[in-house]
Amino acid sequence: MSSAYAHPHPRLSSVTSAASSPTASSSRFSLPSAATLVTASKAGTGQRPNIYDRNLNKTRVAEVSGSAFSFLFSEVVQYTQKRVSGINDLERRLNTLGYRVGIRVLELMIWRAESSSKAPKREIRLLPSLMSIHTHVWRAVFGRPADALEKSVENADEYMIIDNDPLVERHISVPKDLSQLSCSSFTAGIVEAVLDGLGLPARVTAHSTPTAQYPNRTTVLIKLEKSVLEREELLK
Amino acid sequence: MSHHLFILSPSDTPIYSLTYSSTKPAGNVSSPLSSNLPTWSTSAFAGTLTALSGASSTTQHTSGGGVRIGGGQDRHVIQMIANASLDAVEEVMRKENTMYLKSVDKFNEWTVSAFITPGNSKFILLHEAKNDEGIRAFFTDVWELYVKTVMNPFHSAQRVIKSNVFDARCRASAKKYL
Repeated sequence: MSSAYAHPHPRLSSVTSAASSPTASSSRFSLPSAATLVTASKAGTGQRPNIYDRNLNKTRVAEVSGSAFSFLFSEVVQYTQKRVSGINDLERRLNTLGYRVGIRVLELMIWRAESSSKAPKREIRLLPSLMSIHTHVWRAVFGRPADALEKSVENADEYMIIDNDPLVERHISVPKDLSQLSCSSFTAGIVEAVLDGLGLPARVTAHSTPTAQYPNRTTVLIKLEKSVLEREELLK
Repeated sequence: MSHHLFILSPSDTPIYSLTYSSTKPAGNVSSPLSSNLPTWSTSAFAGTLTALSGASSTTQHTSGGGVRIGGGQDRHVIQMIANASLDAVEEVMRKENTMYLKSVDKFNEWTVSAFITPGNSKFILLHEAKNDEGIRAFFTDVWELYVKTVMNPFHSAQRVIKSNVFDARCRASAKKYL
């Protein structure tokens, strides 16, 4: 994960510099201890930077470490699993969480690409939208494009985005009794939100499709709503 | 000369509105008669009737011989015009791939310009004078503020934007460009 989710950075750095406690300055850890955090935030509520003062454009420095993300995501999955009754429910919840991310990814990604342009453009056609999800969304979220975008042979309304080694599952081993589970439902949620935002409503699900070479290979299945295909016909 | 901005969530729930009166002179000044009229004729009701009857911004003679000033400055009429323009906006946004849709709709003295964010939120601006470049710059500013709002994890799509800072920044931008 990169970019937008690094918001706390400026705040944390201001906290560390404000905290004069010896634990924070002498310790080898980059995060201040809980106690210094509390006191500093109490003292510094007045000068806390406003979200409207922040720059939306710091992609380079705002990258998040992969292990930090894996740790966070593992907690997300555990937290969710404690609150659901079955695999379907778990996938649905992960999808919902991904959806919340997807809305933001879309807005921010396009803002970064288009805001300096005189006449910012939206994507309204289906195929370019899917291509941009495959390339740009994947790059914005996972740092590299997805491995393939395929159209279903049997159904005209189904498309598949294939990732050979999804970042979210790199450190996840799914137990046998949950073999149907794909934690990439989170990714599916992101895709669903982006499609929704672009005005192409669809149901998006994730499925594990391992091969000998890529045991983690995952297919994100996009089932478009009827209205999307009808509109696409009209636009031709 | 006033401007009215509405921000609508992707499901068309109004989440922010701004009324801004610019100090720049209006292109078409409404008739000075309005100040001499009895209050009943400029009541909200009369305004609605006049606005709906399709009258232009100038005076209109009623059957009784009285003179009425064109409505359209009342809050609810403004909201109605903004709402009605959504049909036009949705029709255009299916075909046009630009975010800024200038002058998508006209109603009496009001021109409606719109801006569609990638996530399908809509900014609707009612204005009287033609000012394409200024409005584009204004929308770009509002877009940045909107993206910053959306990035907040505590913001959800349907939620009304209540931030004072957002409001102040929008006003500052309106003052600069409109």
